[in-house]
Amino acid sequence: MNQQLIALFDQPEKRYLNPKELSSLSQYVASLPERIRVYRLLRDNEVKLMQQAVDSLQAQCSQISEKQLERSTVTGLLILRYCAMAMVLDDATFVKQRLQGWLSAVQLAYETVKVDQDLHEMLRQQLGRQFTAQQLSLLEPALKASQVLLSQPPEKPQAMVEAAKI
Amino acid sequence: MTTIISVADLVAENRLPGNYFASDVYVRGTLEFGLLENRRGNRLLALPETLIKGIYAGLEQETGQASKLVLLNCGRWWGKNFYARFCDELSDFYKRPLADLTMAEFLQALQQCWHTHGWGGINLDPAYQSKGFLGIQIFSSPYAQYAPPSQQPVCYLEAGILQAFFGQLTGRELSCVQLTCEALGADYNYFVLGLEHRLKPAAAMVAAGKSYTEVMAALSQQS
Repeated sequence: MNQQLIALFDQPEKRYLNPKELSSLSQYVASLPERIRVYRLLRDNEVKLMQQAVDSLQAQCSQISEKQLERSTVTGLLILRYCAMAMVLDDATFVKQRLQGWLSAVQLAYETVKVDQDLHEMLRQQLGRQFTAQQLSLLEPALKASQVLLSQPPEKPQAMVEAAKI
Repeated sequence: MTTIISVADLVAENRLPGNYFASDVYVRGTLEFGLLENRRGNRLLALPETLIKGIYAGLEQETGQASKLVLLNCGRWWGKNFYARFCDELSDFYKRPLADLTMAEFLQALQQCWHTHGWGGINLDPAYQSKGFLGIQIFSSPYAQYAPPSQQPVCYLEAGILQAFFGQLTGRELSCVQLTCEALGADYNYFVLGLEHRLKPAAAMVAAGKSYTEVMAALSQQS
């Protein structure tokens, strides 16, 4: 659950929840069956979705090395899994918590920034074909959070930059 | 079109090694017992600011000048055990022996592990690798932040940890000298690791107040 919802449970001794707060809670609970349905669809179609995204990317950019594409596929699968869980929780910050720092370190190490971004775009296209607009709207915040992380170029450590000048 | 990547093969074991040391899953607590544990159930020790300051002050009072050596040796002991635990956890998580991990996997895990344990950030600087030295940058270090005022770099504990950790990783007896220090206003703590006889001039140069650039230039010019 996202922080706003979790905060609702913080102070039961002080007061009852007001109508607006109860409405937020009800909305989340009411959305759970659909969230779980989308989660199941993602789980059951993970391989198909990602394979189609990988194949599309490969068709468009044949010069990507196998090593880079394999690493990006692993990263893409992980991102999708984190997004799926974030969607169930209705908490896009979950993606940031788990991926920030780690993702940029992996991208820097494997030099896959561009391939990761392109594969993510292909995956979003596949998701657009397979899911309804309503289902996509549930996934969108998490996908957007991961896209933001992917679009931030990993920074080279300052020491390396300075050392390179010597 | 030939498919070069089989996603089905990649997920065959239904287990993709993600961010093992992510702080929100790695550190757990049992409030009733006042315990901190990692995700495998191993105990973690929280070092509050007061305790770190107290360790510095106590060592200074008890051992004086030798406190640096004590901290370095404590760090070496810590680093030796840290290396063993780190390797054990990592090979268990990846289901592969450590030697089979790529350098990138190893490095990423070390960076996240360091960060999650609250020791700040760590980066490896390969710029001097061809000269036989490994540079390490550590920033936001609590051991620099809470150290008593000094005219010299103060992170002896970390120098010991790095010396033992990378010594075991490379299978060589290494020395470690700190060149820049956050406690002296630098942006990060810079450590250089290398064989003892090759690194020998560095410690004296740092003691004489030479800069990072001067020390690394001198080390690089050695035959």
